[in-house]
Amino acid sequence: MDTLISLRSISKTYHLGKTIVPALQQVSLDVGASELVALSGPSGSGKSTLLNTCGLIDTPDEGEYTLAGESMLSRTSKELTLVRRNKIGFVFQSFNLIPVMTAYENIEYPLMLTGMPETERKKRVNEILEQVDLTQHQHQLPDQLSGGQRQRVAMARALVKQPMLVIADEPTANLDTQTATNIIDLMKELGRRYGTTFLIATHDQRMTERCDRKIILIDGKINTNDIQLSNNAELEMRGNA
Amino acid sequence: MKWLLFAFKNVLRNRRRSLITIIITAIGSSAILIGGGFALFTYEGLKEGATQGSGHLVIAHKEYYSGVEENAMQYGLSDWQDLKQRMEQDEHVKRVLPRIQLSGLVSNGDRTNIFIAQAVDPEGEAKTREIVVDKGEWLSSKQAENEDAQVLLGKDLARNMKADIGTSLTLLSTTADGALNGIDVTVHGIFSTGVPDMDERMLFITIPTAQALMDSQKVSTLHAYLDNTDGTDIVAEKFHLQFPDNALKKWEELAFYYVGVVNLYNRLFGVLGLIIIIIVFFSVSNTMSMVVRERTREIGTLAAMGTLPREILRNFVLEALVIGIVGSVIGMAVAGGLIVFLENAGIMMPPPPGRNVGYPLLVYFSGQLFLMTTIILIMVCVISALLAARKGIRQPIVEALAHV
Repeated sequence: MDTLISLRSISKTYHLGKTIVPALQQVSLDVGASELVALSGPSGSGKSTLLNTCGLIDTPDEGEYTLAGESMLSRTSKELTLVRRNKIGFVFQSFNLIPVMTAYENIEYPLMLTGMPETERKKRVNEILEQVDLTQHQHQLPDQLSGGQRQRVAMARALVKQPMLVIADEPTANLDTQTATNIIDLMKELGRRYGTTFLIATHDQRMTERCDRKIILIDGKINTNDIQLSNNAELEMRGNA
Repeated sequence: MKWLLFAFKNVLRNRRRSLITIIITAIGSSAILIGGGFALFTYEGLKEGATQGSGHLVIAHKEYYSGVEENAMQYGLSDWQDLKQRMEQDEHVKRVLPRIQLSGLVSNGDRTNIFIAQAVDPEGEAKTREIVVDKGEWLSSKQAENEDAQVLLGKDLARNMKADIGTSLTLLSTTADGALNGIDVTVHGIFSTGVPDMDERMLFITIPTAQALMDSQKVSTLHAYLDNTDGTDIVAEKFHLQFPDNALKKWEELAFYYVGVVNLYNRLFGVLGLIIIIIVFFSVSNTMSMVVRERTREIGTLAAMGTLPREILRNFVLEALVIGIVGSVIGMAVAGGLIVFLENAGIMMPPPPGRNVGYPLLVYFSGQLFLMTTIILIMVCVISALLAARKGIRQPIVEALAHV
């Protein structure tokens, strides 16, 4: 399995007034392509900071970050934006859908950014709408959808451009058990279909159990060795997908 | 097109706030158009009055405007008929009228008053300018030999002289040689200019009457009336070359009232326009600042998804563009409606200072003014959106996403 994410000695410190808060301390981590990795740990352990660093929306103070073999930390803000546009999808805890856009338009948005022709966009969006079972709701605005439907739209939006990495911050936190289970299964299925790596910050036991690997962060450090949750055969299969 | 559609949807997101901003923009737009249109109507009216009065170009003796005459008509035009003929040869010149300016005393035997007179070619003047004859008739160059010369008196001068149509008066003035001369005249008509000072002193006589009174064949000035006011500069250039030994004045150099009003109104309406633009700027700026603050998390989401800052900025600018365009169009419609209403309502303005006649309240329609106002207001909306949104997009993505 190829390494998609390689973090080496990543550190990040926040300054809250006179207080210095070390969010990440010398974190090193490798994540393989097509892996479904759960980031777990108590509040303030550095999960979100690690997630944001991997998603290129935050920069560490020191260390080295390589995504798909390319160093990311020496890049300009514009270059990082273009990497996010083409290679990274995001799923947020509160869905963060654009309220004035319909479900269809929300999913179409990342493709519009890439400059994809409309016919191609339409094909892609319709395809993923079917996969997340939202074809019937495609013309509805986010506030006309249930929580689960919204999260499915958010997931479809993250995956429609077929990114190599999806960053998900507590994607099931606002969902009931049944919906959360459905979302997790959907995430696994779509990840398998598109060969996407998922990096998921979560407290949700149901979620971590379904991931390939669980990384526990405490006080900005990876606590123990990774906990391998899935069998290697499945990972191989996902890697080859 | 799709981005514009999203912008439109975003404008509708907070309808009440957007509506207020659009209304402010529309009021600003219509206020500028109506104020500017009123100023343009005033300029046009004064310009027409000025060009009717003096003609578009005036030719005089070289020293007429700069020197001080020792004797009457010292700086008059002796070769005026030849000059007039040459001026009339220009294709843009419709008419050239000679005039004599003189002053003196008018007497009815019991009472004497100072007068300021303009000696004119009656038929030519009648075709060119509108003089309100309240009583009697305008002058005529055709009169019997045994008749006294005709005079047209300003209404207050006529009242002071207790003169009516047919009253005989004597005009006294100095001749070109400096001697005192008098001539009997009969009141042929009474006129009013709307300016009390003029009505109290002014009278019209014919050129031959003035020449007889001053014992001179000269005229003071020649007034060229053109087919188009906009062509004044072109004809002036030609006349400069053609008549280098004469003084040449354009109508606006002699229209002191017009120039004064234009300068005053330009400043007055300019300041008002600026205030309106500032109000629109702060209104749109305030709205956009609130919009940006409310959508901070959305900005963070868009940025995280790979939207470049300039693309996020473009979305806000498009929203401001929608507000600016809708507001300007409504403002134009309101201004257009008011222009039509005023055309039909016949509302009169009170007389301006120094005059005793009011004028109709009308607003001039100027396509250029409409276009400029729309462009300026849309630009103001766009600039205010740019400034407001710039702050929002500068925020780090992580902070924007955490915004509540």
